[in-house]
Amino acid sequence: MEKEFENVSIPTILYKKIEEKIKGSETKSVASYATKVLRESLSKEELTEEELSKEDEEKVKERLKALGYLD
Amino acid sequence: MKKPVYIISGLPRSGTSMIMQVLEAGGFPIATDGKRHPDESNPKGYLEIDSIINKLKDNSDFIFNFEDKVVKVIAYGFQYLPSGNYKVIYVERDIDEVLDSMEKMMGAKDESRSGTQKAFIKLNDKTKTDINKREDMDVLFVNYNAILSSPKEHLEEIHRFLKNKNLDLEKMVEVVDEKLYRQKRMK
Repeated sequence: MEKEFENVSIPTILYKKIEEKIKGSETKSVASYATKVLRESLSKEELTEEELSKEDEEKVKERLKALGYLD
Repeated sequence: MKKPVYIISGLPRSGTSMIMQVLEAGGFPIATDGKRHPDESNPKGYLEIDSIINKLKDNSDFIFNFEDKVVKVIAYGFQYLPSGNYKVIYVERDIDEVLDSMEKMMGAKDESRSGTQKAFIKLNDKTKTDINKREDMDVLFVNYNAILSSPKEHLEEIHRFLKNKNLDLEKMVEVVDEKLYRQKRMK
């Protein structure tokens, strides 16, 4: 059976900074925080590969006009 | 070097007006022409320059009328900002809440909501990427939902980002607390 998790090493100083940052927040552990940030970073890279098409831009402009942000 | 223009940006209905209200309460000079009056969607007012995107499209130097002030330019307007000196607070909000708020403001259901969602997610990501690439922009990314869940912690970040403006943090926090109080009463 394939392992569900793997270990990754990060500098102790960074680990401590993250521990400090998540104190009192909804993120319960450094591992959860790192997973969340890495997921966001990967999805951002995937999404930015997709450029705003002409059709997307028209959709945005149509909405902005309806909301009063564009004449 | 020119004085910075302070920009509040994000997708429409992402909480940019709330951040403008927060900064105004803190004592930051706001750029507004008062043309867009408070309404049900923004009971405390929009605090913006009417048709600023069109004005920037016609003459991008229009932005330099607002040196040392804070002005709202939503994400789509970034493409018209000329080289300059900017400090940007970019607000993000849960995309479903953004779309719900747009529908409410338009008073109509969006029949092609998934297409709208896709287009606005791309616009958001493109704008963030473009901001990060620009050397004339110092940016702080904030999240509307996170601010509402713990106002003081997140407004402190904004306060630190604008530390040379000596803003009144307590008054900034009061704006969000009042908003939360109103929301609770409406439930």
